[in-house]
Amino acid sequence: MQVSHLERIRRALWTLGQPLTRVPATPGMPVSDLFVWRHSNEWQTSFELIDIPGLFAEGGAGGGRCATIYCFDRSGRCFLQKRFELLPNRRHTVEMAGLVGRDHGEVGTFAVFHSETPAAVTAVGSYLAERGYVSYRYRNAPLRAYVHGNLDAISLGSDAQIELLGARGLFPREYRLQHEMKGVALYELGLVNPTSAEQRCAFQLVSTQTGKILEIQNVDLEPRGAVLIPYQIDESESARVIIKSKLVMARPLVFRIQDNKLGVFHG
Amino acid sequence: MSYYPILKAPGVQGWTTLCNFAPNNWETTRCPTQLMNVTWPSADGWMTKNLGVLAPNAMRTITSNEVADVVPAEAVALLSLTISAPPSQSETLPELDTFRTMVPAWRATLGLSSEVAQASYQGEIDPFPPQGTLLTFGPFMQFGASIENFLILLNIEGSPKRRQSEVEVYNADGMTLMGRFEVRNNAANVIPLDGLGFGVGDLPAFICRGLTGIPLYFSRTTDGAHMSLEHTHPPGSLVVHGRRWEAQKMLKNVWFKRVASCR
Repeated sequence: MQVSHLERIRRALWTLGQPLTRVPATPGMPVSDLFVWRHSNEWQTSFELIDIPGLFAEGGAGGGRCATIYCFDRSGRCFLQKRFELLPNRRHTVEMAGLVGRDHGEVGTFAVFHSETPAAVTAVGSYLAERGYVSYRYRNAPLRAYVHGNLDAISLGSDAQIELLGARGLFPREYRLQHEMKGVALYELGLVNPTSAEQRCAFQLVSTQTGKILEIQNVDLEPRGAVLIPYQIDESESARVIIKSKLVMARPLVFRIQDNKLGVFHG
Repeated sequence: MSYYPILKAPGVQGWTTLCNFAPNNWETTRCPTQLMNVTWPSADGWMTKNLGVLAPNAMRTITSNEVADVVPAEAVALLSLTISAPPSQSETLPELDTFRTMVPAWRATLGLSSEVAQASYQGEIDPFPPQGTLLTFGPFMQFGASIENFLILLNIEGSPKRRQSEVEVYNADGMTLMGRFEVRNNAANVIPLDGLGFGVGDLPAFICRGLTGIPLYFSRTTDGAHMSLEHTHPPGSLVVHGRRWEAQKMLKNVWFKRVASCR
């Protein structure tokens, strides 16, 4: 469908100077998504660590590369940096429970920074990005549920300082989750803040049948922080969620639990 | 002009939930009633049938059973939402008269269900160029006596003409060929991954030189009680900004050379 001239002008108000993410300040530095960890008696989180720089190596990957996982609590405070030697052309399933322990709450975020960016990647003006794969296990189920990362949220500066890459808009905007929440199920929506400023987010639960707003929850999200918003959807109920904030894209991570069975996906 | 496929996998039913509202409030403000359509490839071209209308702000789930009378069992069913009706028969995949957004893309929920559980992701599909190739690394395999793993390679192209290619499955460490599987265009190709010899810690690499697609990974317990469904990234997603397509091309060259040197 053709977009009219007036529509283009209207859209420009929402896009000019308001990119989804910013380019890291320092060329060649690694970029990562801001992944969500959950850890409790019911929840376990794993991350699939892969030697991404080694994939680019001509003639086969040698060893010697590392990656560092930075762990943040729900308020965005960094409480751990753990370095891992990478296994070329292998997968290393990192159990996050061993990193986050019991003293930092039940939810937070983490980032994975590779120690090396292939010269060929830098040569084309690009940045190595870890947007890889997280899995969650609920109540010791035999199967984990996987979800991929999809946001270049955070980078390291040349002095190893953390740089948040998420952008905010000039005006509050809506992210409308295109998913029908049906009962009986417990939904938990996770959201992270990839910007350098606190963000106020309003979660609206809207009835699909009537269009009425059923409830609104306001949360303040610290930089690098995470929040989980629970919704118990009853039988015969159908609803959807709208997230209002200044985040350019407040895309949530959705956990769906039905009869102790977990599903997880990105909005 | 995104389509929304109904997925297929062994022992489960596919379904797709269409949404007639934009994923944000700023890329488009219009929200009229739209037509729901199903499109599928046949020997006579791309066929399309109307499935009714979807009111503004409404959602509708359509299962594989609901289109079983219309879409042949071996064909992929592609749902769409449009303002005007696509042609009922077409030599190329119809361009859709519909709304498009970028941040994020206008999506549907694509799911698989057993009697007692479901797994889904938010997705859409656009036609791939026929000269495309596939390289992806899939660290999603899970192991256990009652666990099954599948790759679902989802492809659609502009032409309905049927063609085939081959997916080669390698252990990335040592480039050992673990299996070859015939795949075809305009299909949800299901490849069983168990029994190929992969173990915990192995990184499967999937290569296809004759077509490309969305590589979905579906794992389930044999009783259908637990499921996982997610896709891997294309190589271009391993980098951001700059001329990332060149990085993708470079990575494919590296791995296609590795494969050639191991033959």
